Parts: sequence; C-alpha cells; structure tokens
Amino acid sequence: MSGLWPLTVRELKKWVRNPTFFFTGLIQPIFWIALFGSAFDITKFFTGPTGSAAASYILDGAPNYITYIVGGVLTTMGLFTAMFAGTQIIFDRRLGPMGRFLSSPIRRSSIVFSKIISSVIRILPQVVILVVAAYLIPNGLKFPHGFTIVDVLIMATAIILIAFIFSSIFSVIATRMTNMQSIFGIVNLVNLPLMFVSYAMFSRQMMANWLGDVAQYNPVSWSAEAIRTVIINGSLTASQWTQVGQWLGALAALAAGLLLLTAYLVEKEIRD
Amino acid sequence: MERTIIETKNLTKIYNGKIRAVADLNLEIKEGEIYGLAGPNGAGKTTTINMLITRISPTGGTAIVGGYDITKNSLAVRRLIGVVPQDFTADEDLTGRENMMMVSQFYDVPKAKAQENAKTLLKLVDLEEAADRLVRTYSGGMRKRLELIIGLVHDPKILFLDEPTLGLDVQTRTQMWDYVKQIQSRLNVTIILTSHYLEEIDELAARVSIIDHGKVLITGSPAELKESLKGDIISLTLSDQKGADTMKTIQGVVEVTDMGSNSVRIKVVNADESLPKIINFISQHALSTTKLTVQKPTLDEVFLEYTGRTIREAEGGDDARKLAINMRRARQ
Repeated sequence: MSGLWPLTVRELKKWVRNPTFFFTGLIQPIFWIALFGSAFDITKFFTGPTGSAAASYILDGAPNYITYIVGGVLTTMGLFTAMFAGTQIIFDRRLGPMGRFLSSPIRRSSIVFSKIISSVIRILPQVVILVVAAYLIPNGLKFPHGFTIVDVLIMATAIILIAFIFSSIFSVIATRMTNMQSIFGIVNLVNLPLMFVSYAMFSRQMMANWLGDVAQYNPVSWSAEAIRTVIINGSLTASQWTQVGQWLGALAALAAGLLLLTAYLVEKEIRD
Repeated sequence: MERTIIETKNLTKIYNGKIRAVADLNLEIKEGEIYGLAGPNGAGKTTTINMLITRISPTGGTAIVGGYDITKNSLAVRRLIGVVPQDFTADEDLTGRENMMMVSQFYDVPKAKAQENAKTLLKLVDLEEAADRLVRTYSGGMRKRLELIIGLVHDPKILFLDEPTLGLDVQTRTQMWDYVKQIQSRLNVTIILTSHYLEEIDELAARVSIIDHGKVLITGSPAELKESLKGDIISLTLSDQKGADTMKTIQGVVEVTDMGSNSVRIKVVNADESLPKIINFISQHALSTTKLTVQKPTLDEVFLEYTGRTIREAEGGDDARKLAINMRRARQ
C-alpha cells in the first residue's frame, strides 16, 4: 500500500516524455562545465615556473582548473536539480493529482519520496554527461592517476547524498505551500549563495578568510571536496581517506536526518 | 430493508474556530442506493464528502463508512471507497489507461485484474479509443468521464461523486447521467452524489437530503419530497369566459384561480388523482377546452419551500459567495 513505486514511475515517465525538460537537463552539464571552466579560471594569468607552482597551490594540486571544478560543478548541478523537487509537489497540488493521492490508501510520504527519488535518478545521466564533456573539452578533466571504480563510487555517493539533502529540504518547504512564486523565490534566494559560499568553484586559498570559514560548513563543499580529493590524488593516503570519509559521513548523516524529518512532517502536514 | 453502509451522527466541521461548514449532520445511507446531497454552493456538501472520504477530520460527531470509523480507521475507509472529486485529478502527461493503472497500484489491485477492470470501464464510458492518448488531448467531457472511472478501478463498494457534471453542457450532462446509472446497476456500488443541479438529483438519486448552512433540512425520495408540497398545478384554457366561471365551482380541489383570458389555474394535492375528476366535470358541464397543462413541482420548488429562497438566489447572493471564498481560504 505504499504507492512509492507507481508514483516514481509516473515522475520518470513525465520526465522522459517532456522533450524540453529532458534535453535541456542533458545539455545543461555541458554548458556548465564549459562556461564555468573558462569564466572562473584565474590560473591563466599565472605564467612561468612560479606561476604553475602558484596555480597548483590554489588548485589543491589539480593539473588545471577544469579538473579542479568538476567535483564542484557536479555538486552544484545536483543541488540545482534537487531544489526543484518541491515545485513538482506544488504542481500536483495546483493541477489536481494531489487530491487523488490523498484520498487513496497510500502512505503520504510516498508522494514526496517519489519526487526525491526521481530527482536523484534524473541527476545520474547528467553526472555521466558532465564527466564525459569535461574530459573531451580542450585542456579539460585529467585523471592524473587514472580513472578507477573508486572515482565512480565517490562521485555517485556524494552527488546522490547532495540530491537527497536538498530535495528533502525543498519538499518539506513545499508541503504546505500553494503558491509557485513563493518556492521559486526561495530557490532563487539560496541557490547562488549555496554555490559560491562553498569550495565548489574556488578553493579556500582564493577566498576572503571569513568566506572560507563559512564555506567549510556548507554540504556543497563536503561533496565537492570529496570528489576533488579522489580525482586529484587517485589512490588516497590513510589521512586522506579519513578526510573523505568524514565528508561523506557528514553528508550521509545529514541526508538520513532530513529524510526522516521529511517522512515525519509529510505524514502529518501534507494537504491539498 | 437493506443494510446501512454510511451513518453519520452529529457530524460537525468548524473551520478556523468560527465558520460552521457542517453542523450536527445526520445521514443514513443504504447499501446499493444512489444517495443525493443537494444544496447551493457553500451549503456544506463538499465538506461533508471530504470528511466521509477522510480527507479532512471532523470537529465533532462521528461517521461510520462501510463499517469503519472515519477518524479511528481512516485507512480502512480509504481502501473501501472510490472518489471522483470536483476538480480534475488525472495526470495530463499520462494516458487515460496509465492513469487508471497507476491508481490501481495505489490499492494493490493485481495487474491482470486492473487491466481487465480498466478495459471494462473504458468501454463503459466510451473512452476505449482515447484510452492510450495523453489526457492533455482530452475534451472537458472526456476528462470527466475518465475521472468517473478512475474512481472505480479498484472495485470500491462506495463511490463518492462530487458535482459530477459541474461545468458540462446539457448534452454531456445527460450522457454522464446514463453512465452513472449504468455504473450503479452493473457494478452494484453505493453512490453518494452531491450536486447543486436539483434536476440531476431528481434524475439519479433514490433518496436525497437537502442541505443548507451545513444542516439537513429534509430527507426522502425525490418523489416523496415533491408530493410533500401538496401542490400540483393544472392550467386550463376554455373556449369562453363562461366556461372559466363554471370551472371555478368545481369541488374537491385546493384552489381555483382565474388567470384571465378564459384561463384558470387549479391547485390540487395530486394531479394524477384529480385529473379524471376535472375531465368528468368538463364533460358533465359540456365545456370545451383549448389547452390543458399539468405541472408537477420540481425539486427546485421543494428547495424553495424549505429554505424560503430558490437555489439560484442562494448561490447568487453576496453572502453565499463570500462564505464560499472564506471556506476555500480556510481549507488551505
């Protein structure tokens, strides 16, 4: 009687059937990596041996800027896609299906979890496309120590956790909301701060001190740094593993907490 | 007498601590019947339905639906009932059949059984050809028909129809009535129907409760309610004024009024019984008539009798509109 499966299938059908929604979602990662990769690359001003040493220092040892930001762009993309999980709930309420769901014997939380799970699934092809695009563009993504299953697993884990975290937050916000403008307003208010007050695009060395201090508490930083560490270093040392484990552990704990909170609040509060 | 399938006792809903949408409502609905809830917009019909389908919880009173208490055992109630809400609920990006299959999964209907049900129901409302088209391509009438059968895909014992023909043209409405009748007779399901079209209730319901300001004003079969008015009207036009004057001497009727132009208006308790008497009177006195019409009271007149206003007035009034808007706000 949970209803989770049919509702998730519904979300995915709607995604695949809407060409604009589907293809823009797939093209977006290419734009992001190409634009951010050239726009924010300050290492191009550094020349000569001193310059490359400085570049390596501010990029945490990454061979170029694209390699440095892949983890950050992946995370931001996960964040932006996940934030729209809430708008789907409001659409269901405005267009009528919510009434049908609420009068049937399904679990209330399935309505919201189907949005969260489908957001996570929608992000996965974007991840693949972004990594391939980053790899193919000139002076693009380099795996200095080869591309292994460990890279894949860390990337997938971090992005999935980020998607769970932010789709839960925005779904909870949407459970009582009927107005589309309100949720878009909230999305617009927090998306850029979440992206720029983090180590997604810039390392701590490039930031004002206060910004670097705040950014270390942003889950976006944890995900970006975890992916970056494994791409730049390949096989990790024990202390690097501990650091990556801490980032992923913190993401997992936050995701689990938010999912539980979502389940609790939605069972109680969702309405049409 | 058949088994009672829905019973409410002093069911009450107060929104925001002040708007009494439903007040001490008592209903008793028998298994297998079509039961109408009639009343103007804002009378409390939809609020009553929403409590019975466990969408909102009552402020007071109790209701038993299919043997289960709506507050203590709401999940069991939801499994038992089918709902066709006022608004469209089908997903526009899915086909009609996909919508039905999805809803069947909400009720754990086995896939083969659900496919069979969907096929039968689509055929019943003539949607077979459109079944595999996206719902966004459907006309308003088609969408209403789809809503009707989505609520039936899991073989519910009780079906709630909230304003099933609101906003439909006259032809499509008559068609919907046929479908509702067929559903009731073929699928043996109890139907609770709300409508502010009194002719719809008259056409479909075996019994009806007229509701206004959240209270039941009267309950009975449409025929009983109309008879209770004791007021059939027989209008008679005679060939001359002398004939009309003679007609005024007839005994055993409620009242004869001279309408001018050789016409009289005779009020009787029951036209079926009085008409032979009147015809005898005409032939005994060798009168010649040019026109005779019999007018039975409609449910609109019943509504007028019990509320002191017509249902159109009740809806058109500023107060009613304000109340409806307030209730909508309160529900959100």
